[in-house]
Amino acid sequence: MRFLYLLLFLLLLVFSFAANAQQSQQTVSGNFNQTPFEQFVRQLEAQTKLRFYFDPKAVDSLMITLQAQNQPVEDVLALALKNKPFRFVFDEENRVFITAGLLLEPTLPDYFFQPETPQSAAANTRADDAETASSTGRSRYVSPAEFKVYELGAAGTTTGKATLAGHIREAKSGEPVIGATIYSEAPSVGTSTDQFGYYSLTLPVGRHDLKIRGIGIKNTKRQVVLRGDGKLEIEVEEDITPLKEVVIEGEKDKNVSGMQMGLEKLDIKTMRQIPTAFGETDLLRVVLTLPGVKSVGEGSTGLNVRGGATDQNLILFNGTTIYNPSHLFGFFSAFNPDILQTVELYKSAIPAKYGGRLSSVLEIKTREGNKKKFAGAGGIGPLTSRLTLEGPIVKDKAAFIISGRTSYSDWILKKLSNSSFRQSSASFYDLSGHVSSEINEKNSLYATGYLSTDRFRLASDTTYQYLNQNASLKWQYNFTNQLYGVFTGAYSHYAYDIVSEKNPVNSSRLQYGIKQSNLQADFSYFPNSRHTIDFGFSSLLYNISPGSLTPNGEKSLIRPDVLGQEKALESAVYASDRIDLTPRLSVSVGLRYSLFNALGPRDVYRYASDVAKTENSILDTVRYASGKVLATYHGPEYRLSARYSLTENTSVKASYNRTRQYIHQLTNTASVSPADTWKLSDANIRPQVGDQVSVGYYRNFKSNTVEASVETYYKSLRDFVDYKSGATLLLNHHIETDIVNALGKAYGVELMVKKLTGKINGWVSYTYSRSLVQVNAGTTAEMVNGGRFYPSNFDKPHDVTLIGNYRFSRRISTSLNFTYSTGRPITLPLAKYYVANSLRVYYSDRNAYRVPDYYRADVAINLEGSHKIKKLAHSSWTLGVYNLTGRRNPYSIYFKSENGLIKGYKLSIFGQPIPTITYNFKF
Amino acid sequence: MTLWGLLLVMLSGCIDEYMPDAISTAKSHLVVDGFINPTGITTITLSRTYPVGLNSPPPPETKATVYIEQEGGNRYAMPETATKGTYQSASLKLDMSKPYHLRLTTAAGKQYASEYVAAKLTPPIDNVRWQAAADGLNIYVNSHDAKNTTQYYRWEYEETWEIMPPFRPLYEYNRFTRQMVPNTAGYPSICWGTAKSSAVALTKTTSLSQDIVADFPLRSLASTESPLRYRYSILVKQYAHTPEEYAYWSQLKKTTEDIGTLFDPLPSQITGNVRCLNDTEELAFGYVGAHSAAEKRIFISRSQLPGTWFINTGYEKCVPPDTIEMKYVDATFKSGLVVPIADVYSKSGGLRGYTAAGLDCIDCRKRGSAVRPVFW
Repeated sequence: MRFLYLLLFLLLLVFSFAANAQQSQQTVSGNFNQTPFEQFVRQLEAQTKLRFYFDPKAVDSLMITLQAQNQPVEDVLALALKNKPFRFVFDEENRVFITAGLLLEPTLPDYFFQPETPQSAAANTRADDAETASSTGRSRYVSPAEFKVYELGAAGTTTGKATLAGHIREAKSGEPVIGATIYSEAPSVGTSTDQFGYYSLTLPVGRHDLKIRGIGIKNTKRQVVLRGDGKLEIEVEEDITPLKEVVIEGEKDKNVSGMQMGLEKLDIKTMRQIPTAFGETDLLRVVLTLPGVKSVGEGSTGLNVRGGATDQNLILFNGTTIYNPSHLFGFFSAFNPDILQTVELYKSAIPAKYGGRLSSVLEIKTREGNKKKFAGAGGIGPLTSRLTLEGPIVKDKAAFIISGRTSYSDWILKKLSNSSFRQSSASFYDLSGHVSSEINEKNSLYATGYLSTDRFRLASDTTYQYLNQNASLKWQYNFTNQLYGVFTGAYSHYAYDIVSEKNPVNSSRLQYGIKQSNLQADFSYFPNSRHTIDFGFSSLLYNISPGSLTPNGEKSLIRPDVLGQEKALESAVYASDRIDLTPRLSVSVGLRYSLFNALGPRDVYRYASDVAKTENSILDTVRYASGKVLATYHGPEYRLSARYSLTENTSVKASYNRTRQYIHQLTNTASVSPADTWKLSDANIRPQVGDQVSVGYYRNFKSNTVEASVETYYKSLRDFVDYKSGATLLLNHHIETDIVNALGKAYGVELMVKKLTGKINGWVSYTYSRSLVQVNAGTTAEMVNGGRFYPSNFDKPHDVTLIGNYRFSRRISTSLNFTYSTGRPITLPLAKYYVANSLRVYYSDRNAYRVPDYYRADVAINLEGSHKIKKLAHSSWTLGVYNLTGRRNPYSIYFKSENGLIKGYKLSIFGQPIPTITYNFKF
Repeated sequence: MTLWGLLLVMLSGCIDEYMPDAISTAKSHLVVDGFINPTGITTITLSRTYPVGLNSPPPPETKATVYIEQEGGNRYAMPETATKGTYQSASLKLDMSKPYHLRLTTAAGKQYASEYVAAKLTPPIDNVRWQAAADGLNIYVNSHDAKNTTQYYRWEYEETWEIMPPFRPLYEYNRFTRQMVPNTAGYPSICWGTAKSSAVALTKTTSLSQDIVADFPLRSLASTESPLRYRYSILVKQYAHTPEEYAYWSQLKKTTEDIGTLFDPLPSQITGNVRCLNDTEELAFGYVGAHSAAEKRIFISRSQLPGTWFINTGYEKCVPPDTIEMKYVDATFKSGLVVPIADVYSKSGGLRGYTAAGLDCIDCRKRGSAVRPVFW
């Protein structure tokens, strides 16, 4: 009965009209003889301003016989329903509710919307019942707030449009929900929340049903009567179990209707399901499973996005740039999974807001912390343990979250086959903290700190130490409902320190450091529902200590060798407008203009212009004073994209973007090595420029539960750095003599089918892609492979990835991960010869051969504790096997001269199945 | 501990030997190995490149005409020696202030030349020092150049050690008469094994404030290695290099020796400073520098090494010798690969057979030379 009651209630509230008459005093006339009830009320409606609400099925057998002559409506109704099992009631807005049995209370008690107070026990029961009642279908939770009608804005306006804005927050923790969609179905207007959980929606004034869908939250809706601009803060319930079913609700039809292409979005719950080698949720490894993302091999977390180099990804952690995103030579990613909320990877159509890297933007966002109560989470894995604490500073206003992770990973080194690794030790930790504070309705402040450190001792005489230090402060200011600004100050510092003390005479310390400070202002303006305008500017100051070698200890004869500091300023302005031209066609037009100034003090070599740069072609040295500009580069970066919906569930999208990069990672090893450094563009090193055109077709099947997409791209890269044979990258005072400018081109097709609902969910992707490099500058000796295009180190044309999950129950789920790819290119020896008492090999053209194909399968099983909402701690166990078949996938093949002979070897990083077990808890 | 062991067993063996299928056989190119010695005899070895899968010594390049040429000056002929592919000059005393290069014409008529290089005088080796650590012997080189002009050093070495076989045969089997006769062949009781360094050893002092090489670790031997069993000697040869020559050797080391880590530099095509003059497509390998050589020899006896070291004889697999019953004597010994040592009698006093061992266990000339080296 209560179910009917509520259903009726919902039904009744769908339509509403405002009127001011004294309803029950209105009079009606008419003769009714066995008139169906429905017809009867229509007549009453015709004569009055009243609207009647009822369940047509309940009244279909109700016939009315009466006569009335200018009688008050109330009396007529009382007469009509006399001795019938129906009741009626009037409310203040000329509505009449007819209910079967129970009398409806047209005004709700004030405590109705505070389910936590004891007085509202009745309301709670009702809500709970609703949940039970609907639990046979989809997981849909009915919050009491859904029943409330929110009146917003000053009354009076009845025409025109108004803007509704506010935040969507998670009810239990008060954290913002990022990327949740809020939309009205009629008219069809919607938006999604930004990184602060903020939304702004311009709607016609009047009554609206707003539906809210998002990742990891239960579906809900709000009823609003919009009379003018207003604020609506929405609290939504967290969905406790990581069900994919919920994920789809947030992403539903975004594939087709969203503007963005080449965007991969992962939430922490998706990431948790993917098995990894060391049992720990690893952000970068999950990103590597996405179509279009490759790496040279298992030991590397260097991402190659659509044929781009590993230094062409902008990795942002709450707005600060991370220069070294991995621990332990790339075996671990340097982000603690417990603090992460979402990860977005932009492969194409990079928004104008982002710049500075050529191939992709990987935006990592942390959670804001629980604003309601103190909570914690943690995990114990085979190599690392982690702990997260969070809680309110000021209830509902300010919260903190702090998360730490530390390793006990020495034993993994012991199992690596390299003997120098075996004699080594390694440890790392990372710590991140975030504070968010909503000062008032217009101002919010967010602060993030991040620290990660690695320390290795290699073969007992060399110590490596790495350090990332990052901090950011964001101030969000809402000018109006339609305009807000975010002002960010961020600082990134990456440094390493290598101490070698084998021989006291040569004992030395090698140091490198990069510091980056940036200030930026980003504005979002929503003039009306057809335009979304973003604009802003940023300025970034680099300060690099490119390397120093200093003596270590008194006996050391090392002569200090310090490279001069490098300084530069990178500034940019941008604007973009997303225009919904018709409901079917949307375009986004953006332009970013970046300006780079290399600054003194610095001594710059000038080279003869028409010959290759060598030490011999140095003409002179020009000294620039502090702050003097020694080189300037600038240029536009176009960011264009368009979407056209062919039907409701198919669309095509196209995009073109240009990117410019002024900082280069110097590395000539296959995978990024621990001693690699970053170098700024200067008078002798040009910035890299990349262009990408991409076209895609998107289609959703089975009411948006299956998404399919095909994206193709062509990308050209100019002036990225490659190296001459035998280049010296460290402590080189004239690195430009060892660098050659390379051209790159990459193209490919990415096919993906995703099913994100139901017991079986996951995705399958197939990628065909090529990535080619050409070094055709300088003298013949400097050319690689005679100046022809050759495959890059990560050119793996075919790639098939399957990520599958099967949920047995809400407590047990399993995951399977399968990867196949073409083997990576390598350079093999063509012939051998005898020099200096040993056989040596002579190598073929660079990357002319390939290692055997790669394939690997991983499985994991996830056991959740019980799902009682009120529980001291939620815990789960993850058991997994990485590389189930134990295939020895070759990472590299190499030929070594040993005792005068040549031996060929195949190096596999994980040559056996690796079982793992991890315990996670949350309180 | 068991778990530990299990893990190690489970995860070890990540490096497997591997030889890819049929790498297309490339053309064979000339290889020049050696340097111009301005203060002595110059020895150059000419050979050719050959397929990686082939298990044979490098094919020598014979009957070539080779000479050293001073820039704008004299030529010094280098005739081929008795060893095929090896060419040697007379003992020379060249003007150190002039650049030199090597010119050669192969029997097939291809002409090659190395680039002109400045002649460098190698400073003497200060000392070759050794140290017995817990797990083995380390040998270090020390050198310096007070004028700070050497800076780039490379070393090669030649090791010599005594070998003593475990058996002195009393008998010899005559294959033709099928008779066991007293041994007259006289296998040597001592031989001298030799080996040359095969790894590139080099260092530079450019990052130091003085041109000093302090304790450069040149060679290390495990405490069980048999060359240390009786008496061991190492002859260290030191060469001073130009920066270019140093870069060549360093590059060669990087691409052919120091590989197999996760962070290998990409292998590059490294050839050297020899070019073919009448065919630009033709490659040549090797770097011909011009520098003198400094040498130093040290000896290390067993008595100087820690008494706790258990040093292998190198003949561990030979003892105890097998016993060959009378009926198998002919079948066993007629090949000559297995040699009788002494007679064995049964308890009743009858001749039961002979103890025997492989020729390698008896004739130390299989492992070295029986001629006492002049320096020994």
